[in-house]
Formats: sequence, C-alpha cells, structure tokens
Amino acid sequence: MAQCVQSVQELIPDSFVPCVAALCSDEAERLTRLNHLSFAELLKPFSRLTSEVHMRDPNNQLHIIKNLKIAVSNIITQPPQHGAIRKLLNDVVSGCQPAEGLVANVITAGDYDLNISATTPWFESYRETFLQSMPASDHEFLNHYLACMLVASSGEAEPMEQFSKLSQEQHRIQHNNDYSYPKWFIPNTLKYYVLLHDMSAGDEQRAESIYEEMKQKYGTQGCYLLKINSRTSNRASDEQIPDPWSQYLQKNSVQNQLISRKGLSRSLFSATKKWFSGSKVPEKSINELKNTSGLLYPPEAPELQIRKMADLCFLVQHYDLAYSCYHTAKKDFLNDQAMLYAAGALEMAAVSAFLQPGAPRPYPAHYMDTAIQTYRDVCKNMVLAERCVLLSAEILKSQSKYSEAAALLIRLTSEDSDLRSALLLEQAAHCFINMKSPMVRKYAFHMILAGHRFSKAGQKKHALRCYCQAMQVYKGKGWSLAEDHINFTIGRQSYTLRQLDNAVSAFRHILINESKQSAAQQGAFLREYLYVYKNVSQLSPDGPFPQLPLPYINSSATRVFFGHDRRPADGEKQAATHVSLDQEYDSESSQQWRELEEQVVAVVNKGVIPSSFHPTQYCLNSYSDNSRFPLAVVEEPITVEVAFRNPLKVPLLLTDLSLLWKFQPKDINGKDNEEVRELVTGEPEMIGTEVISEFLINNEESKVARLKLFPHHIGELHILGVVYNLGTIQGSLTMDGIGALPGCHTGKYSLSMSVRGRQDLEIQGPRLNNTKEEKTSITYGPDRRLDPIITEEMPLLEVFFIHFPTELLCGEIRKAYVEFANVSKCPLTGLKVVSKRPEFFTFGGNTAVLTPLSPSASENCSAYKTVVTDSTSVCTALTSSASSVDFGIGIGSQPEVIPVPLPDTVLLPGASVQLPMWLRGPDEEGVHEINFLFYYESVKKQPKIRHRILRHTAVICTSRSLNVKATVCRSNSLEDEEGKGDNMLVFVDVENTNTSEAGVKEFHIVQVSSSSKHWKLQKSVNLSENKDAKLASREKGKFCFKVIRCNEREGATQSSEKYTFADIIFGNEQIISSASPCADFFYRSLSSELKKPQTQLSMHTEKHSVEDAVSLIQKCNKVDLNIVILWKAYVVEDSKQLILEGQHHVILHTIGKEAFSYPQKQEQPEMEPLKFFRPENTTATSRPSLEQLSNLIKTSLHYPETFNHPFHQKSLCLVPVTLLLSNCSKADVDVIVDLRHKTTSPEALEIHGSFTWLGQTQYKLQLKGQEILSLQLKACFVHTGVYNLGTPRVFAKLSDQVTVFETSQQNSMPALIIINNV
Amino acid sequence: MLKTKSGSFYFVILGHHDNPAFEVEFLPAGKAEPKDDYHHLNQFIAHAALDLVDENLWLSNNIYLKIVDKFNEWFVSAFVTVSHLRFIMLYDIRQEDGIKNFFTDVYDLYIKFAVNPFYEPNSPLQSSAFDRKVRFLGKKHLLS
Repeated sequence: MAQCVQSVQELIPDSFVPCVAALCSDEAERLTRLNHLSFAELLKPFSRLTSEVHMRDPNNQLHIIKNLKIAVSNIITQPPQHGAIRKLLNDVVSGCQPAEGLVANVITAGDYDLNISATTPWFESYRETFLQSMPASDHEFLNHYLACMLVASSGEAEPMEQFSKLSQEQHRIQHNNDYSYPKWFIPNTLKYYVLLHDMSAGDEQRAESIYEEMKQKYGTQGCYLLKINSRTSNRASDEQIPDPWSQYLQKNSVQNQLISRKGLSRSLFSATKKWFSGSKVPEKSINELKNTSGLLYPPEAPELQIRKMADLCFLVQHYDLAYSCYHTAKKDFLNDQAMLYAAGALEMAAVSAFLQPGAPRPYPAHYMDTAIQTYRDVCKNMVLAERCVLLSAEILKSQSKYSEAAALLIRLTSEDSDLRSALLLEQAAHCFINMKSPMVRKYAFHMILAGHRFSKAGQKKHALRCYCQAMQVYKGKGWSLAEDHINFTIGRQSYTLRQLDNAVSAFRHILINESKQSAAQQGAFLREYLYVYKNVSQLSPDGPFPQLPLPYINSSATRVFFGHDRRPADGEKQAATHVSLDQEYDSESSQQWRELEEQVVAVVNKGVIPSSFHPTQYCLNSYSDNSRFPLAVVEEPITVEVAFRNPLKVPLLLTDLSLLWKFQPKDINGKDNEEVRELVTGEPEMIGTEVISEFLINNEESKVARLKLFPHHIGELHILGVVYNLGTIQGSLTMDGIGALPGCHTGKYSLSMSVRGRQDLEIQGPRLNNTKEEKTSITYGPDRRLDPIITEEMPLLEVFFIHFPTELLCGEIRKAYVEFANVSKCPLTGLKVVSKRPEFFTFGGNTAVLTPLSPSASENCSAYKTVVTDSTSVCTALTSSASSVDFGIGIGSQPEVIPVPLPDTVLLPGASVQLPMWLRGPDEEGVHEINFLFYYESVKKQPKIRHRILRHTAVICTSRSLNVKATVCRSNSLEDEEGKGDNMLVFVDVENTNTSEAGVKEFHIVQVSSSSKHWKLQKSVNLSENKDAKLASREKGKFCFKVIRCNEREGATQSSEKYTFADIIFGNEQIISSASPCADFFYRSLSSELKKPQTQLSMHTEKHSVEDAVSLIQKCNKVDLNIVILWKAYVVEDSKQLILEGQHHVILHTIGKEAFSYPQKQEQPEMEPLKFFRPENTTATSRPSLEQLSNLIKTSLHYPETFNHPFHQKSLCLVPVTLLLSNCSKADVDVIVDLRHKTTSPEALEIHGSFTWLGQTQYKLQLKGQEILSLQLKACFVHTGVYNLGTPRVFAKLSDQVTVFETSQQNSMPALIIINNV
Repeated sequence: MLKTKSGSFYFVILGHHDNPAFEVEFLPAGKAEPKDDYHHLNQFIAHAALDLVDENLWLSNNIYLKIVDKFNEWFVSAFVTVSHLRFIMLYDIRQEDGIKNFFTDVYDLYIKFAVNPFYEPNSPLQSSAFDRKVRFLGKKHLLS
C-alpha cells in the first residue's frame, strides 16, 4: 500500500467517532445558510478536541481520551442509497489527481529504475468517504447516533416552544415506526440544546434571556448559546482572514449534491413506503438475512448489549475494554451461528487488539480473515468486507506485512465494483513495490490490472497514470504484445483526455515497434492513430508538419541523381546509356569510369591531373564520395530516390508526396544575397517541386519513390525530407494484385483517412578512420548528398547511336553513325571520347576525306573505301602508305583518348552533328561491355564545373569468325624479283571457326594486306588450288606470300612512323588498306598489341654487354611485319543474303614464330605453392637461344638440281656448288664454315656417306652487316643417286664480342641433288 | 478478462533482462485460435511471475520449480537454468510431469543452440529449426 498522510493509529479512531445528530429549526437553518453553510458544516472545523478528555471506566479507572472527535450531521431519515454512494466515491476519486509537477520517488530494484509516486491521495479520499458514508446497520452500533443537537435561533418568535417542538420531533424520528433510519445508539438519546444567535442582526439581550430560560428548563449542562455573524464583509476581498471551512467545503459540495439528489427521491420513496406499509417486505428481508447469516437478534438482546458496550468503549478509545467485550460478544455470536454479528465482532476485536496500548497481544490477522470471508461469502455484504479489508490492509502495512496486505487487497477485487477493484489493485501494486525486496514485475502487472479497472470505472486519468507507471517496467524488453496493449490503452485514454500529443506518441510507438500483431489489429491501430493524429493536426492547422512514423525510410539508401530523365531509344536512335537510377551500383565499373575520366582530364591538362579534380558524380548513393557538396546545374532536374519500407501487414497509401527543401538563392554574380533568404517548399519560381499524387506501399513491402526538384535559380539547396499524407486504403486488407500497379495513379484508391506530415532525411556519413583521434573514438564524416549547390548553366550533350549493332562477328567491321546534340543553351567544345577499348571503334582518320554521309545513303555499301581493279593484277601487291600519326597513333599519345572530329570543334546550342563511326567486333567471342566516356567543356569557363561527361556502355555480342595464324620465315632465295635485298615468306593459315548457328554460309578472303615500316607483301605464292579463297564452315585455307623490303628510298625519306601498306587482292575490288577504316583498326590493334608487356628484352640491354649482344642477335630475328586479312562473310538471315565484312590482324615480331590473330588464351597457372624461402637469384639466361643464332646468318646452296655424269668415263663426278652466306643482322659477324661431315647418327651416315667436299674444308670469314658472300665449293660423287648437300655446318659469332657463341647454322631443308649416269 | 481454454499452454524463455527470448503457444488439437485477443495477457502473467520465480529459487534445490504463481485459471511453472535463464510455462490444466519433461528437453535443445558462436545470449531465438523442435516437444509432452 502506498504511504498515507494518516498513520493507522490515527486513521482508525478517526474512522470510528461518536456520531451526533443535529436537528435545526427552519429559522436556525436559515440563519446558517446566510453563511452558505449548514449547521453541521458550521461545526465541522471545531469537531475535534485539542484538549484531553478524562473519563472513568466501569472499574472506576481514569481513562484519557486524546484528540476526541465527534461527527455532527444533520438528521437524514433515509439510509444512503447504493447508487448515490457509488457516484460520490467516483467523484471523490476522479476529483483527486496527483499534483502537477509532483516529484516522483525513484525506486531501484534489480535492473529497474522506476519513477513512482509514493502517495495515493485519491485512495485516502476514497477510503475516508467510504468509511463516512457507511450506512448504519443493526449488528453494530459504531455509527449510530449517540446524541442529538436541537438547534433554534434567537430570532424565532417562540424559541422555547421551538426547542420542545424539536425535542418532540427527535423523539418521533427515533421511536416512530415510520422511520427505520437513522439508527440511535440508546433509546433515550442525549439531547443538547443550542441557541443560535446572529450578532449582526439579532438583539443580544434577548438571546441572553432566552439562553437563561433554556438553562433553567434543560439544565446548564445541555445548553449552549452559539453566537455567529452573518454580516457580509465589505472588506472580504482584501482581508486575509483564515477560513476554517474552506478545506471542508469542497468535499461538502459533493455531499450536498448527494443530499439534494437524495431529497428528490426521498419524497418518492416515502410515498411508496406509505402505500405498502404492510410489514411484508421487511419480514422477507429478515428471513433472507436469517437464511444467509444465521440468527437475527432483537434490539434488546443481551448479546447485543455487550456489543453495544464494546462499541461505546471503542468510540471513547478504551481499547482494552473494547477488546474484551468484542471477544465475549464474538464467542456468543459464534455459538449462536449469528454469522454477521460474529464477523462484526471479530473485525472490531482485531482492530481493538491492534490499537491496545502497549500491544499485549499480537494482531489477530486471522480474525480479520474470517470476518472478511464471512462478510463476503456468507453475508454477501461487500461493503463490510471492503471496510474490513481496508482496515486490515492498513494494519498489515503498518507492520510491514506487505505480502499479506497485497493478498488481502487482491482477494477483494471482484466484478461488482470496478472502482474498488481498481483502487485495491493499485494499493496491492504499491505493496509489491514496498516489499523488502521489491517485486517490480508484480507491481507492474497489478498496475496494469488496476489501470484496466480504472478505465472500466470511467476513471480515465487514473487509468492512464497506472498504464504509464507500468510501462516503465515493460518498455524495451521485447514484450511486444504487452507493450502494444499498454500503448494502445495509453493512446486511447490520452485521446479521450485530450492529451493528443501523448496519444500520438503512444500510437506511434505501436506502429513503429516490430509488431507481432495480426493484420486486422494493425489496421485498427493505424486507423486509430490516423484518427487521433488528424485531431491533433486540426488543432493547429498552420503549425509545422509533425513527424510521421510510417513508412520507415532507409535514409542511407537514399540516392540522388542530377540530370534529365533519358529516353533509351528514339526510333532508330539509341541514346547513350549515361547514368540513371535504374543502374545498380558496381564498384568495379565505377572505378573504371573514374579511371577513364582521369585519363581524359590528364590529356586535357597536358598529362597532369589537377589537384582540384574530383570525378564527376551524377548519381550519389551510399557508395559514392559524399563528403563534398554536389554540384547541380540550374534548369536540370534533381531526382531523389527515397527508400520506403512498410513494416505493417496493412498497405500504406501516401498521397501528395513531395520533397521538402530549403533554399538560399545567390546573385548571378555569385555573391551572396545580403539577406540570406531561407525558402521552404512553395516557391515554384525558385525551385519547382514534383508531387506524386498517390504512392501505395503494400504490406511489408520495400519500395522506392523518385521525387524531382527543378532548380530555376542558382544557390544552395538543402533537401530536408519528404512531406506527404499518410493513409491506408479502405476496404479489404488483402491487397493481392494491387502491388503490381505503379504507385503513381490518381484517384485509384479511396483514401479512408489521412494525415499530413513529414519525415526528415538524415544521412550519417561514413565512419572516419584516418587520424588517431578518429580511430580511437567514433566519429562520422558529413554526408552532403542532399545539399547540392545549384550552379550556372552548363552545356549538355546528348549522344545518339544510329545503326549501332548488338551482334558482330569477331573482327567484323560495321559502319554506324553517332549523333552529338547539344540540348542546352550553352555552346560546348573540347568534345572527346575515351574508352579502354580504342580498337573497337574509330571516327576515321584525319586523312579521310569522307564527308559525313547520311546513314541511309550508305546502307548497303561497303564500310571500306574500295577501288575496282582488273583481275589481271591478282597476285601482285598494290602499295600505298600512311602515317600512323594521321590515325591518332603516335609517340606518347594516349590512344584511349580520341578527340571527336566536330566540324567546327564547337557544338552550338540546339545543334546536332552526325558522324560516321566504324566498329570492329572484338577478337574474342562472347559478350563485351564497352564503356565510352564523352568529355566536353563549356566555351565559357566555369569555375565550379570545368567539364562534363556523358557515359555510354555498349554491349556487343561477338561470335567466332576466322582464326588466322601466320608465320614468317626466311626464304632460301636470296634476291627479290628485282634481284636485290632481303626477302621472306609469310605463311598464313586461315580457319573458319564459325559455328553454323550464326548463319554464316562461307567466308571469302578478299584481300591480304601487309603493313610495315620495312617490309611489304610482294606477291602471292599460291600453294593451294583454292583460288577464290572460300572457306566453308570448319575449313582451313593456307596462303603463302613473298615479302620483300620496302625501297630504302621510301624508308629513308619518310618519317619513322610511316607505314607501307601492300594489298594482295583476291577479288576484283581493292580495299584501300591505308585508308579509314581499315588502317584505323590496324593501327589501333597495333597500339594495343604494343601496350602488352613484352619488354624483358629492353630491360636487359642496358646493363651488360653480353646482353647487348643478345639483343643484337635477337634483333636480327625481329621483323615488324603486320598482316591484315580482309574478308567477307555470306550470311543467310531470314532467307536473305547479307554480306558482312571484316578484318583480322596478325602482328609478326619474330621470324619463325607463329603469331595469331586472336588472343591466345594463356593457361592460368595453378595456384603457385607458397615459397617460404627466398629463391636463389637465378641468373638470367643471357645466352641467345640456338634458334636466334640460327637466324643470324642465312645460308643457301646453289647447284643444279640434276647432274648428268658419265661414270663409265670418269669415276669421279665433280659438281660445283655455290654457298651463299647472307648476314641478316646489321652487325659484323664472324663465320666459320666447316665442310667436314659430322656423322652424328647412323641414319645421317647413310645419306651423307657417299659424297665428299673437295678442297678447303674450313673457311673463316667475316661478313659485314647485311653482306652477302658466295663461296665456291666442289662436291665429289662416286655413284649415281640422290644426295643431300645440306651438310656444311656454319658457325657464327658477332665480331666485336669477346664471348663467342658458336653454334651451327642448321639448314632446315635438305638440299637434294640427283646424280645421273649417262 | 480471461476465457478459459482447457489444455492450453504458453511457453516463454526469458533472458537475463526479463526479455522474452522465445515464445510459443500450444493449443489442443482441433481447437481454433480463440477469437479474443488474449495473447498480451500471457505475456503479462508470465512476466509478473518472475518475481515469484526469483523468490522460489531460494526455497528450492531443484531447477524445476513447480507452481510458482497463479492468476485466475492460469498456473505458472518455471524452470531456471544454471545460467539463470528462466523457462516459464502458463497452463490451465495441471500436468506436472509433462511440463517437467518438456522443460528438460527444451533445455537440452537450447544448450545446443546456445553454443552456436553466432548466437548472442539474451537475443531473441529466431531459428526456425529451434521453433520447430520446441513445437514437436510440446506436442510430445503437453498435448498428447
């Protein structure tokens, strides 16, 4: 139980005080009324004696009564009615609320810290009122009238007569059978005569004389002259006279109501009583009583006399005597099975025992328990039971027996009175919390139960208070259903009490909690919330938008996009993909884009990336760098994607959804306005705001909304959040199928109820982890994605692709068109495109004099520049030359960055330009994503935005076409056609690797071209009969070409970047290989080939002369011959024949080494085992390989193929043989020719055995660079037959080298000679 | 306030902060979910019983505490593990043995889940396997 103002020792005597009736004359009543008081009220402040009263008990012992109090009340002749008492109690409780700003106690129990008010004044008021309004009953005498005051006024005509009238009246009330109420303690009630005199009006002399008369008649003991003043004070307002009545008046006004209500019913009741004045009704009730609670004693029964004695003793605080009397009476009653009487005696015996001074015996709690049980169960008298419980619980509390007290209180809760149950449960809860080890959870539960009962009893404030107190215990523990219940009740009660803010927050709590409620329940909660919320917002319609709890917003997932919405395709035109919110973030690709941008910026800034450079970000998300204020361009929309999630099982409908922002405009001059205006939504001339009229989020759905702003002025924009009407949809809660509809529909759903509010977008930046301070604490950086700076106008480029293919054969060349359009109001310039795959596309070289044709005109023409030739020129090469610089491939240039050849280098506002663009299918089959980054600048330099970019990702699917493999080897013949210079043979193997699914019928090789600084194709050495060079599926063709050195003249006069192109044509059309696009792609593939790491060689050369030698030797194995194979593919598609064109490149570096057109797949080595020791420094192989050396000197034997010799005439056949030695390197080479047979294997012996070289067997020679030397040898044969002359072994070393690398020059081919006999 | 549901059970595992880590209800077969929304009351009763569980803990040597509390027609039994995790059972028909066996088996099951290094003590047990197995044990010991 809660703490009380009164101690139990004060409470009980005050609850049982001698009762005195007051019977006033009409005149006396009128007189007191002048002061707005009744007579009883008039006496109330003076009803307690401050002095001690002395009394002698039956044993003649002096007994002291302290603080004696009497209760004076006007005679009421009807017992108080149940309903009226109930109403009174209800009013008392609801009228007593905890004081505002009352400091609550903090109780700590276990994990819990609770704020609890220790006192419950409403309970005390209730108890006091309850005990006072107890109706008098026959089995006890405690509240029977012990005396009666007869009051008359001095102003009456016949005051003495009035007194005797009153006396008769009292007698009549007590003894006439018409009145069963009030009850009187003794038959001869003690009378007290009071003469009321108004000092302000009456004649005092007269009053004194009447008083004398009274004393003579009734004796001095029983008379009193009470002088009062009814004068209305003029100075009442400014005089502070203490008003002893004030504390009673409020309560009394309640009581007066009660009485006046009673007065209404009194006449009615007495009337009916008169008509049915037979004795049947009371008899019946007596019988009932008898049946239920045993015997009924007549009023004069001796058992009752003892009880009366006990009560009298009790009233005068003689508790010892009272206890013994009660005890005696109890025994008698129990013997007679008079249960009601027994219970009454038990109750009072227990109380007397407790109140006995010196406590001679322990408090007999079991007496109380028996009494309560009897009252409740046997007598069905809940009022008496309640009194008993209240007393006992208070006594137990005073003895710190909280557990027992709680049990007692809980036991009396019942369905018949919610108010009583509520109060008792609350007291029980306080018992739990006041225990030595506080039972917090029991406390909370009983507070909930009390709150529930309070709410049923209509005590809303108390209900709310109980729930709020209990909430402290349940909060945040995960008891979600319990929490929801509490919050719901708090919300409801707060709402009915017009505490709307509390109501909103309680309902809000239910909705945002991870709810376990059913869909229907959630729907109900939501509707209730919306309803309450609506009421709140109606109170202050102009106030700021309140925060809405739903739907959830994942702030960090917010994305911001700067720029227009883009149409992906417009007829044949396909727009650049650029950046859009539909693209998922991919760190790899964003890194690629970043690198591309850095590359182009570096090129623009002469190789250096300025420190102020930051990659352009059009789409900001949680991965992008949001530490700086993003830049947005005026008149270009800003799209914010907000990620909503509906946690509820019911759909949510947002209407009139838009962004909320703040804007600080700036002068055009860039200076801040003097007055910085902060504008919020609703200034469309500054910032236009898009509104989504309806946005539906289904149950438990995550959905994004894209909201746009249109900045029309420069300045600083801050996007604060979203504003919308929150509602749900009417009707069925299951919304299957509706989710498929897009959210933005107008009037699609009937909105049941909605409220307008906002939610802020607050994004936390990344956790900082750079400095020590940041590492040791938790700090977050800023995230400024929602705070764009609106800058001045910038040009805006749109790029469209026309006839852009999606599928290509590997190596296929296709012509497409690109349209560049400036859709802004600013001219743009400096247009460049950068791509990691420059070999994929070209805009044509600088030499190309192609005027941009319209795409339709060239539809069926070849992508190449062609010249018709006559068929006679087949097999001989047509040469031309071109410089790589013209095609953008030069020393030090970045091949990835390609300037777009705009006609005037400037694209004016609104202008557009179409340029041809050739594409070449990548050599690898599969799907290729090729990124293009278009770079452009404004003509007018902008300080904030230096450049802009546009991205495009092309997706190309390539399928296999041809595989080309080529080798170059030295030809055995030493001269070219003109009889001079070096020559080589190139073998080209072409395989059709196309799978027939692609629809390619066959490939025609139409032309083979060479491109080199030093070499050119001379003619075709046709090895196969396949003259028209057709390749069906899986067919392989072989070509052989002779290669000669270019004219020295050509090489010398032209720059080193000059390449000679030689075309060998198989058809009747020459494709000018030195022109666009053939040369473009050739150069691009060349440059991408050169980029590949193959620089081991150059690394070595610098350090050692040995390696220098190696390089020299290697160099003579080097060629720089590049072969271009041009082809046509005949494709049947939809029963139409198409001709596709393409080209493959083979880059030949090394003599004798195979080179391929397609990238060789390098076998990825298995995971290398980890090495735990440092590998020894393996000396780099500085020795040139045999193969390399063997190419140092080219040898050829010149001899007749057949030689006829008459062996019968001359047995020895001598054949002259010329050995030609040609130095392929540019260095001097020492050569040793050894003619001695080296019989290494028996097999070799068999062949060589039968001929011999004559003359000098070893020659030491020196060959200058590129020198050709002939050596005349003689071979001697003795038999006819076929011989291999290729036996001379040639050893070579570089002349200026000390180190000698000697190795034999092996002739790969046997040199056969036939010796015939004639 | 309460509707009598014979043979109904409500089981909850409580963490160290009086937080429910796992909740399940067992209703007799064929008995439809009662319409009245009384679920929150289960939580209230179970939670309130904790004070008495704490009290009973010192009075008994067993980790299975028979009936610790009673509210209206509901009985409350408890089982306190060595780590002071509390199992609370609400039921309306006395069935001591079944509940005791159920507690023991759930305890075994819980230990297996609690050793999972990814399970943070006191956090809600959201494993569907755990839920399934507890339901099975409920069927076995309580509803049969």
